Amino acid sequence: MLLEATDLVGGYPSAEQIVKGVALSADAGELVTIIGPNGAGKSTALKLVSGLLKPSAGAVRLAGQDLAGRSPQALARAGLGFVPQEHNVFASLTVAENLEMGCLFAPREAKARSAEAYARFPMLAEKRRDPAGSLSGGQRQILAMAMALMARPKALLLDEPTAGLSPAAAHDLFATIRGIARDGLAVLMVEQNALEALEISDRATVLVDGRNHLDGPAAAVAGDPDIRRLFLGGRQSTPGPQGQ
Amino acid sequence: MEALLQTLVNGLVAGSLLAVPALGFSAIFAVLRFPNFAIGALATAGAYGAWLANVGLGAPIPVAVAIGFVVAGLAGVAVEFAALDRLGRAGHLMKAIGSLAVGMVLENVIRFAFGNDLKAFDLPLARDIVFGPVRIGPQQLASVGFALAAMAAFWAFLSLTSLGRSMRAVADNPNLARLKGVDPTVVALVTVFLGAGLCGVGGTLIGLDASLDPLTGGRILLSVFAAAVVGGLGSIPGAVVGAFLIGITEEMSSLALAPAYRLAVSFAVIFLVLSFRPAGLLGRAVR
Ligand SMILES: Nc1ncnc2c1ncn2[C@@H]1O[C@H](COP(=O)(O)OP(=O)(O)OP(=O)(O)O)[C@@H](O)[C@H]1O
Ligand SMILES: [Mg+2]
Repeated sequence: MLLEATDLVGGYPSAEQIVKGVALSADAGELVTIIGPNGAGKSTALKLVSGLLKPSAGAVRLAGQDLAGRSPQALARAGLGFVPQEHNVFASLTVAENLEMGCLFAPREAKARSAEAYARFPMLAEKRRDPAGSLSGGQRQILAMAMALMARPKALLLDEPTAGLSPAAAHDLFATIRGIARDGLAVLMVEQNALEALEISDRATVLVDGRNHLDGPAAAVAGDPDIRRLFLGGRQSTPGPQGQ
Repeated sequence: MEALLQTLVNGLVAGSLLAVPALGFSAIFAVLRFPNFAIGALATAGAYGAWLANVGLGAPIPVAVAIGFVVAGLAGVAVEFAALDRLGRAGHLMKAIGSLAVGMVLENVIRFAFGNDLKAFDLPLARDIVFGPVRIGPQQLASVGFALAAMAAFWAFLSLTSLGRSMRAVADNPNLARLKGVDPTVVALVTVFLGAGLCGVGGTLIGLDASLDPLTGGRILLSVFAAAVVGGLGSIPGAVVGAFLIGITEEMSSLALAPAYRLAVSFAVIFLVLSFRPAGLLGRAVR
């Protein structure tokens, strides 16, 4: 496995046990979706993998190197990209500057890679001089992803990339994400649009109350009757202590 | 009418001298997220460094101003990493209070070393320049030039260099900056050096304008704070706009009120501006 987290435990200073022993993995070229009820600890798990939070136990391996507990800078340098759920662009910097911030480890490549990003996402080229804070929600998600790709990561963590997007925009973004994985990246994605996310994913993990509830091929998870009832059918019954 | 014009010019001079330390204060606030009240004493430290270079070593004024920048910058870094950084774990309020205390210590160290008497820079005597009804000292004009140059240089650093861009990125979103590989300690160090350095330039220019004593920086501390708050704490253009607004209002108030009321006027401006724009003139709403 290119990216593998095992027995991950951790949380926040005020709530130390949010993630209570989670295993996550994605191989090169693989798209793995994480679903689970609100408050299950999905975002927290990604923060633990990315180094924004320090795990109190467990391992995070990227290309064979154990990086658990290292700083986010060290993980980024090792080839991990992370697009957080919120505040995932520098709102007061221009689009062009945001892309450059994605390329701090290879500043000489910034020009060429920005040009590639503009070719892939023409909307960004149009807005290159605008502050990122002026972009719409969907445009922001594109910029956040393009910025993460500027570093040419080996593995990418995405936290709810389609949150707040129109169904059409979400559909396009899913196609882009599928393409990114096809290019050979290991992609771990948390999603609320579970049905559509599972359709394009290779594998899936269901997190409930800080633990793995179910792992398997995406099609099998999508077909699991319990999962269908809990996450895919509607929002009337969400399990877990934080359920609403 | 003539008095009004002269006062306006005085206000513009005061505003430009205030804008330099206000920029430094605001930059430190934007990146480290606490109001550093040691900047008054740091401005004084820079000014004494410049004075020593000028009077003791015969350095010309531009060199002395540069030395004021470096001395205050280094003192600021020393204060941050020897004292304030440790308080950081207890929160930003502790750091703010700590900076007030460290500022008093620094001010008294300076008093102990140099005494309480006024020091003057070694300046050639020169006639005021007269433009119709308005007169301005040549050194004042040069100081405004230094102030504008310092602001322009800082602006260029922020917008044209990659370190400057990283500084703005940390100010905008510190966690995302770390995810992109920015080392927050390096950015904090550079910010404190440059921010405190700008305060040193401000202190030196104010010392050049009148004279120097251990309270030179302390006297402008509240005006600098007022300028940064009015402009929007942490906003770089805001600090400049705020400084001119405070400088001009303080000078204008001298037409009607005793000088002792200057600060009261500054705080009346804060009160007015924040009543209508709680984030300051150019500040972003706290999210
Ligand atoms: N900064 C924080 N400090 C303390 N507790 C937090 C913090 N952020 C989240 N939590 C708590 O951690 C738990 C898990 O939150 P997390 O954001 O990981 O859930 P999630 O699965 O991503 O949910 P969602 O689907 O709503 O994004 C929640 O109970 C939440 O209240
Ligand atoms: Mg979440």
